[in-house]
Amino acid sequence: MSMSKTYHPLVKGLLDGERSLADLPPELRAEAEEAERLLGAVDRTPVSLSPALDARVMAAVRRRAASPVRRAWRRLVEPREFELRLRIRPWIAWGGALAVAAATALVVLGRPSVIPAGGPTPTRVAARDSIYVRFVLYAPGAKRVAVAGTFNQWDQNAAPLVPAGTSGIWTTTLALPVGQHQYAFVVDGQRWVADPGAPAVDDGFGRRNSVVAVTAHAGRAL
Amino acid sequence: MKHAALVLLLVTAIAVPLGAQSDVAARLAGRVPPEVARAVAEIAAGVAARGLPVEPLVQKAVEGGAKGVPSDRVIAAVRALAARLDEAAGALRSAGLSNPDADLVDGTAYALSQGLSAAQVRDLARAIHAPYDAATTLRVAATLSGLGVPPKQTVQLVEGVLQAGGTPDDVLDLPSEVEAGMAHGASAAQAAQGLGHDDTHGRPPTWVPPGHAKKHKP
Repeated sequence: MSMSKTYHPLVKGLLDGERSLADLPPELRAEAEEAERLLGAVDRTPVSLSPALDARVMAAVRRRAASPVRRAWRRLVEPREFELRLRIRPWIAWGGALAVAAATALVVLGRPSVIPAGGPTPTRVAARDSIYVRFVLYAPGAKRVAVAGTFNQWDQNAAPLVPAGTSGIWTTTLALPVGQHQYAFVVDGQRWVADPGAPAVDDGFGRRNSVVAVTAHAGRAL
Repeated sequence: MKHAALVLLLVTAIAVPLGAQSDVAARLAGRVPPEVARAVAEIAAGVAARGLPVEPLVQKAVEGGAKGVPSDRVIAAVRALAARLDEAAGALRSAGLSNPDADLVDGTAYALSQGLSAAQVRDLARAIHAPYDAATTLRVAATLSGLGVPPKQTVQLVEGVLQAGGTPDDVLDLPSEVEAGMAHGASAAQAAQGLGHDDTHGRPPTWVPPGHAKKHKP
């Protein structure tokens, strides 16, 4: 049954007891009658719980806590300290190391050639705090503006800016990890523009990349 | 037994660069022209064989591809970066860091690309200690140098903040302070001059904005 129907505020007032059916305009009376009919169909008999329910619930909780299966599972997954002492012959250690090296080589060689693209290495992002940084560009007449940089693998589709009305100002806010990042704006998918409000360094291709420093306290253009 | 061990070692030595090569080629497929992907994969294989990170090479190629830079220029930039990664690892080794992580090698290579010498990078790497992140600190130095602060002054400035016990955020803020001074008309060297000593926002104590007469003592 769908519960998505929304009643007219006056009908809701009727259901809340704030007004009577006679107070409603004629065109709302059919809706109000339907609502009252539905409300009347609801079983309003007071629910009484068995006095033994509490005891039954607690007994079930204790049973589950004492379950040998659960205890075994906890032993498997909960961290604990181990002291491991090995006494092995050197040639066995060398053999094991070589076997591991060979297995690694096979894994590396046999790796599938499709690598997921996009985004920084997840562990690196997860290991550092992310701070929201706002990017702003004044580009009157632009149809499309994006920001691309080291934080999104220079993907000009990853972070589009949104125009602020017809002012020519484009903005977006991104969560970036603490540290230094290089970036540039891409106007209309073709023109790479350094941020005029931030310092820029040589990008190695004869152009300039802007630099933003994200500190633990705030994101800012350098 | 001895022969088997040698074969295994040989297989490992060949497998790592080959794995890096196919990995890089796959990541660049569709993002750069095929000739760039092939060239970068070859360069990356050599870099991986020397135990250096290949990710910076991939990122530089992706950046060039995204910007529509001509293929030969992208390949040249990646080759130059590979050489700097080698130089960076050497500088870090001479600073006593025999096994630096990929991020630190990348940050060091960036510092070298912005004009710092291997000796300056080595000195700076030696001066960095907890709680400062070495890679981030070297990137800050690189940016300062990239802004036009002379390399020697850059090293002195960053080392000064570290020795004075500034916070890691203070280090990260250095380029913004220089930029603020430059926005007021100072040169990068002038803007960096007063930093780490007082609250002049990148402006040396004697510096006055253009169009403003200097105060003369009576």
